[in-house]
Amino acid sequence: MENQVTQFGLTEGLVITLVGVGLVFFTLTLLFLLFISFTYLVPIVMNKINKPKQIVIKKDDEELVINATKVSGEVNAAIAAAVYHYMAEAHDEESTILTIQKVKKAYSPWSSKIYSVHGSQLNR
Amino acid sequence: MNMKRLFIVFGAIATIMISWAAASAAGLSNQTIGEVTQAAVATGAPQDFNALAMNGLMNFLSMTGFANLTLPNFVMICVGLLFIFLAIKFDYEPLLLIPIGAGVIIGNIPFVAGNQIGIYEEGSVLSYLYFGVEKGIYPPLIFLGIGAMTDFTSLIANPKLMLLGAAAQVGVFLTFIGAISLGFDLNEAAAIGIIGGADGPTAIFLSSKSAPHLLGAIAIAAYSYMALVPVIQPPIMRLMTTPEERKIRMKPPRTVTKTEKILFPLVGLILTTFISPSALPLLGMLFFGNLLKESGHTERLANTARTSMIDIITILLGVTVGASTQASVFITTSSLKIFALGAVAFAIATFSGLAFAKMMNLFLKGDNKINPLIGAAGVSAVPDSARVVQQEGLKADSNNHLLMHAMAPNVAGVIGSAVAAGILISFLSYFQQVGGM
Repeated sequence: MENQVTQFGLTEGLVITLVGVGLVFFTLTLLFLLFISFTYLVPIVMNKINKPKQIVIKKDDEELVINATKVSGEVNAAIAAAVYHYMAEAHDEESTILTIQKVKKAYSPWSSKIYSVHGSQLNR
Repeated sequence: MNMKRLFIVFGAIATIMISWAAASAAGLSNQTIGEVTQAAVATGAPQDFNALAMNGLMNFLSMTGFANLTLPNFVMICVGLLFIFLAIKFDYEPLLLIPIGAGVIIGNIPFVAGNQIGIYEEGSVLSYLYFGVEKGIYPPLIFLGIGAMTDFTSLIANPKLMLLGAAAQVGVFLTFIGAISLGFDLNEAAAIGIIGGADGPTAIFLSSKSAPHLLGAIAIAAYSYMALVPVIQPPIMRLMTTPEERKIRMKPPRTVTKTEKILFPLVGLILTTFISPSALPLLGMLFFGNLLKESGHTERLANTARTSMIDIITILLGVTVGASTQASVFITTSSLKIFALGAVAFAIATFSGLAFAKMMNLFLKGDNKINPLIGAAGVSAVPDSARVVQQEGLKADSNNHLLMHAMAPNVAGVIGSAVAAGILISFLSYFQQVGGM
């Protein structure tokens, strides 16, 4: 279709315009409808796929039932904070052993004892 | 401050237009010093050493830029400098305008044709780089990067904003009609209309297919209007909305699950390209890029696509598009018309986006109402028009942040303009067949 001159007037242009605008709206409306339905469908389908696992914790004759797939954001945040503190911060017990580490200085002629002793005799 | 900026921008454009008109009217470009000296070389037959040296020197002189400078070249070099100035001084899309501005200068350095220098000469280095523009290779690669960059979350959370992206495409089609009535044929009109989509890659893609001879002007128009979004859109936005409407607060978008984020590019790809297969190179790459980003397992690929790769392509695209504005090809009345139509296209697109947003508000109730300003982001100049919406929203109410909401019509506009381009391409090939019979 390169560079061929098409002689069509306003009528064809008008047709393209009307149909074109219609089609653009149609395409995006279709996407819109699909995603509107997704907002309702996806949670249902996902719940069907991964059946909610229930964790039962027994403590002092009380049963605590946790819905494993639907954990609220607050619960997650609390768990994450706890794990973080456990891993990174929070020393409950400080180590009481003191270790004096020997610091070894790198050799340098500027601080060398032998130079200061023989200084003048080295004839440098 | 804003007035001064407007004055500088449009004053500079007007000056260039006037000298442009003068250049094309006066026909000053007919003979250059180079041609005179070349003629002198041709007549004098070389005999002795002195004459030979003299002729050689004359020949060299006739090859220099000074000798071949024409007024149109000079005007275009000024345009290039203006682009660079705008990019550096006002920060208008510097990533695009600086490569394009440099390209315009490169493309308009005067030279003697026939030595494989120019972008339109077969076998020259520039023409090989331009190949990617000419055959529409760069735009899909840019779209891949855009896809890997774009977060569709706000659109998925509020899918009704998708319609705003469609509404802004009305500008494309109205400009298309306008171009036909100004005497362009269907192919050219389609390529000009797509400027209203405010999407540089799409505009280049469509015009490389339907009107390659106008590509330079269309690309420059599209990119320069995209850069001028902060100048063009705010007046229309203020004209179309009341202060109360601008203060409307939208409720924060809901959280979007990972499944939805992965499903969006897949569904979008299949659906849009089934409807409009001609847009496959653009939409295919856009959604593919987004899938790379959202899948969560291809972070390396997504990262390359949205950083190194898109940068390389932007550099090549910018410079070659700039260089394609060689004055001998570019300074025509149709380029002037394209610039005028491009501005109209942009204005109509903004206008129809805003109008549609206001219309949607008639049907929406309570806190579902949308702020009509975000309709202006339906033109797909990502992310500039969304940023403009944010600024205008802040002017009306300094606590109302619309950026997140404006990104939804903004990315929908990218999809919309690519779909529109696909529809135009398929219509054109249909009319081509009908016309061929």
